[in-house]
Amino acid sequence: MKAPVIALLAAAALAWPAALLAQGSGTQTPGAQFPDGLEIMREVEENQRATTDSSFNRMQLSTCRFGVSDNRITCAERPRVKALESVGKNYGPEGLDSRSVTIVLEPADERGIGLLSYVYDDAARQNESWIYLSALGRVKRIASGNSDEESETASLFGSEFTTEDTDTGKLEQYAITVLEETIESGREVWMIELIPDEERARETRYGRIVNYVDKERLVSLRSDLYDQYGNEIKRMLASRVEQLDGIWMARSLTMMNLVTNRLSNMAFLEIHTGVDVDDEVLTQRTLTDVAFRETQLQAIRSQVE
Amino acid sequence: MDNLLLGLSDFFERLPYRVLGARNFVLTGVAVITVLMLYGAITRTELDLSTDAYLDESDPAIAALDEFRRQFGSDDSVMLIYRPRDGDVFSRDSLAAAQQLTDDLRNWQDLDPADYPPEITGVAVDLNELTRIRRVQSVANVRFQRNEGDTLLSLRLVPAELPESDGELAEIKARALAQDDLVGMMYSANAEYGTIIIQTDFGMQPVADYVPQVDAPDISLDASFDFSGDGFVELDFDESAEIAEVDFEPVDVFTYTAFHVATTAVWDKYGDQLEYYPVGTPPTMGFMQGVLNQLAVLGALMVVIFVMLLWILFRSFSAVLWPIVTIALSVAWTWGVTVWLGITVSTFISLTVLLVFAVGIADCVHVMNAYFSYRREGEEHYRAISRSFGRTGLALLVTTLTTSAGVLALTTSELLPMQVFGFMSAAGVMLAFFFTVILLPILLDIWHPGFPGSEKLSIPDRLARVWNGFTRNWKIVLVAAYTVLLYAGLGFLVGSYILAISLLTYAVVNWHQRILETVPYIVGRRPWFILVVFGAIFGLCAWGSTRVEVDTNISELVREDHPLRRAYEVVDENMAGSQTMVVVIDTRVDEGMLDPRILQAMDSLQNRILETQPEHLTRTYSLVDVVKDTNEVMNDGDPAFYQVPETRQMISQLLYLFNSANPEDRRALVSDDYSKAQITLNIRNSSTNEYQGFFDEIGAEIDAAFAHLRADYPEMQANLTGSMALIWRMSDEISVSQIESFAIALAVISVMLIFTLGSLQGGLIAMIPNLIPAFLGFGLMGLFGIPLDADTLLVAPVIIGIAVDDTIHFMTHYRVQLIRTGSISESLRLTINHVGQAVMFTTMVLGLGFMLLSFSDYLGMARMGFFGSLAIIMALACDLFLIPAMIMIFKPRFGVRDADTRITFRESTA
Repeated sequence: MKAPVIALLAAAALAWPAALLAQGSGTQTPGAQFPDGLEIMREVEENQRATTDSSFNRMQLSTCRFGVSDNRITCAERPRVKALESVGKNYGPEGLDSRSVTIVLEPADERGIGLLSYVYDDAARQNESWIYLSALGRVKRIASGNSDEESETASLFGSEFTTEDTDTGKLEQYAITVLEETIESGREVWMIELIPDEERARETRYGRIVNYVDKERLVSLRSDLYDQYGNEIKRMLASRVEQLDGIWMARSLTMMNLVTNRLSNMAFLEIHTGVDVDDEVLTQRTLTDVAFRETQLQAIRSQVE
Repeated sequence: MDNLLLGLSDFFERLPYRVLGARNFVLTGVAVITVLMLYGAITRTELDLSTDAYLDESDPAIAALDEFRRQFGSDDSVMLIYRPRDGDVFSRDSLAAAQQLTDDLRNWQDLDPADYPPEITGVAVDLNELTRIRRVQSVANVRFQRNEGDTLLSLRLVPAELPESDGELAEIKARALAQDDLVGMMYSANAEYGTIIIQTDFGMQPVADYVPQVDAPDISLDASFDFSGDGFVELDFDESAEIAEVDFEPVDVFTYTAFHVATTAVWDKYGDQLEYYPVGTPPTMGFMQGVLNQLAVLGALMVVIFVMLLWILFRSFSAVLWPIVTIALSVAWTWGVTVWLGITVSTFISLTVLLVFAVGIADCVHVMNAYFSYRREGEEHYRAISRSFGRTGLALLVTTLTTSAGVLALTTSELLPMQVFGFMSAAGVMLAFFFTVILLPILLDIWHPGFPGSEKLSIPDRLARVWNGFTRNWKIVLVAAYTVLLYAGLGFLVGSYILAISLLTYAVVNWHQRILETVPYIVGRRPWFILVVFGAIFGLCAWGSTRVEVDTNISELVREDHPLRRAYEVVDENMAGSQTMVVVIDTRVDEGMLDPRILQAMDSLQNRILETQPEHLTRTYSLVDVVKDTNEVMNDGDPAFYQVPETRQMISQLLYLFNSANPEDRRALVSDDYSKAQITLNIRNSSTNEYQGFFDEIGAEIDAAFAHLRADYPEMQANLTGSMALIWRMSDEISVSQIESFAIALAVISVMLIFTLGSLQGGLIAMIPNLIPAFLGFGLMGLFGIPLDADTLLVAPVIIGIAVDDTIHFMTHYRVQLIRTGSISESLRLTINHVGQAVMFTTMVLGLGFMLLSFSDYLGMARMGFFGSLAIIMALACDLFLIPAMIMIFKPRFGVRDADTRITFRESTA
């Protein structure tokens, strides 16, 4: 059917920039009291958003069926790997609009596929996306009209992560409670429960989320995601928590689908914020002109090295 | 042999004394074991009502389907076909109604339960059931695409705000009908019918007590997830790692029904504008629930009829109470033994209960009839009990053995619930016999008609006295008033049925003795004529049976005017067909599905089968369609690019987008490693027979399509599968196994009759009256062109078992009498006198009771009720007329030497 294919193209296009937000990150809050759950989650998210502006990232997504061997959760088959490089920058008077370009590095068959997205804060203005298929050598602009009530949850690059897992800014639609203080991965954490309100419940696949937030670093180390019937359907584990540019973040996020026994690992190979991005980089030219793209990316790399 | 039979008869005659002597022991034992059985039945029963219960997990076809479901997911969606009353899906009113309904289903949380009926067909409406909805698609929200220069637009077919002008509406309609891929799915080509697809999460929920594997203590991620450095990460993998298989919550008929009722409430609100034809699992299960509910009512009525008839015929409530106690205990013990053995019970248990009910009633009626007749003859109470068991015990044993043998034949079936059904039924029949011989004597001793202190007349007796007090004219007036009341209150069919029961009961109650006395006389006058008449009936049935078509058509199992059947017809006539099947292609090679040659082979297979099977197949859909569509889309909508690209890289890139956004949709078409894919075939509903050739032809096309790739993909497999294919296969299997078990039952019954009657000649003679009722149903169905479906076949051995019981009682008793008296005439007279009344009573009770099932909406049930009771009634006719006629003509001695073969009826009874 033609109609679903194009709808999917549009959803895929808009899923790209959201991926940039997927980093579970946070800054240390010195002398933090025992704030309420909403406060903690706000701080976690606020720091997440700060990392999208003027950023250059390289990330890798590995997806596999998983199993357990010697008490270790491990892939049970050779994982399928996608590697991507992206550049993003915020626009508009308050920095609420954003532009990003993402290029596929791996696998070989898909190398050179590019996607350019302009996301506008103004609901009246249509978001725009351009897709470039290197095998075809041409750019196509994709417009799906206003992303009105039918914004369905989309996967990130075909992985177990969805746009919803990386969504920020909906906290006021949840009832947030600190359940208890406990230890996770050897660190002191708050167990924070998020239950969607009626409005939010319609859009989310999750009926309940339990985050394990590192008390000191404000990084979510684990999230248990439950469906509407109270069954845990997914679990996210964070590892390799490091401080980059003064921000604590997990560079390895693993989302396990407990129903299908598939997992996806999102590894941030490189994260650079505050880089100087030429506006010209965030245009169609980066998609089609390989030489231009390489020159520009080289210039950005030299800034961060 | 003669001695053995007489010995057995004597044994049964002595048994009541022993049982009565051990009364306390027996009663205590029965009570203790019953408590144990009831405890088991209540605490341990695993009732599996899901459709999967019919499948044996070890069956390779089932394993393939399970694997298919794991790979591609299950699809329990509702296809709500609607027909706007103004006849146009794209009229303003119809679009508005479709928009509102779509919105109601999507945002059901906003609906006010007060706006909806509290219940529909007796099932409570709970809007919270709609939480099962995952996605709703209709003309109101479906999108289409358009190329404008370098831009690809994905637009709503119908804008949320409907246009003002009729011209714009006409434009929408024209645009819609030009979308080849939506026509037949979202609306019919003439825009008369529309579809709302309601996708659910049925069958995708893990079982309630599911504990994720990762919850184990001290579990951690493999160290490779904690990658080091900034280079590419390589996760380790271990092919020996244990992958937890998630069990999904089976969905039972009640869950489907609750959902169906809730959705029905929502769409009924727009019933003024739209007419509905829902198809899919939830509506079908909703219908099944309706059938079960109706069956519960019919079952209750059947019990009422049993009770009334037993009461009226025996004129004592003890004749009602004791059979019911016996039956209840048999059912409880059967159920208990089954669950204590750890066996899961299926819906077939209702058939077991039905069988135990019938057999239990027959057993008790025979014994009690003998008891009452001895009492009438002035026999003392204990002596009457003893003699009645002596008279009936042997026949009870033989009928128990033959009926259990018949149902045990079902355990050879490959379908697990059939095996359980066979086992449980055999156990139930034997238990009914056990309680009849062990418990009934004690029960009759506790309470029986003529029991000291119960000299006053029973209610039926008093009613009879009142009735007999009326004058003839008054009687006529009363009968007329009763008839009018029946027809006015119950309608023609049910009215006629109740009237027939009433008249028959009246006739039997008043004249059964006279009828039984007249029978030998009638037979004695014209035995040859009777033989010829029954011979003709038998010939006709046998001939009809050869013409009967074993065939199951799901939609034809319901009555012609039933909404479910109408819905199937509408979908088959106007939309893409109500059924789906799938071709699963497994290349056994990683990323094999990215090979252009494989996709091209699939493409030509799809085109080819669409061309060669236009009457069955309406459309096909696979990964190939996605690749071709995306190719065209990316090339500015140039139709020349609507084809599979030449290179692997191109295919990979076109599919990259498809996979990126929604892996669930992608997984529905191709596996994660791109080694397996499926082609969905939309087909019209039809009967199993019609699809036999279809399976073979598609199979041949599949082989031909991939033949040239075998060298490169030596392990490749491509097969036709899907639940529909399985159901068809299952129906065929039920049919075959039923016909086999039917044959086995007949063979076993023949052998037992030959053995019991002591001669081959006698056994064969006795078989003929058994064969006529056995073949009557099949014969009539063949003659009237009614296809024999799996469900009707399922109960055939049950009904036949019941029908032949009476014949066996008749023949066994005759044999014993012949041994005792040595005179054919005397034996025949005694047999008709002793057994005739019991046979008549059981026929009345069971035949008329089962006839009630003819009123079921479910034709599988209705046919078995109708033809089953005909068989039971025919068995009575055979017993009373054919057997005496054959005995008079052939004078079989049943191994009794020196038997007096003179026929003296005419003289003695005329």
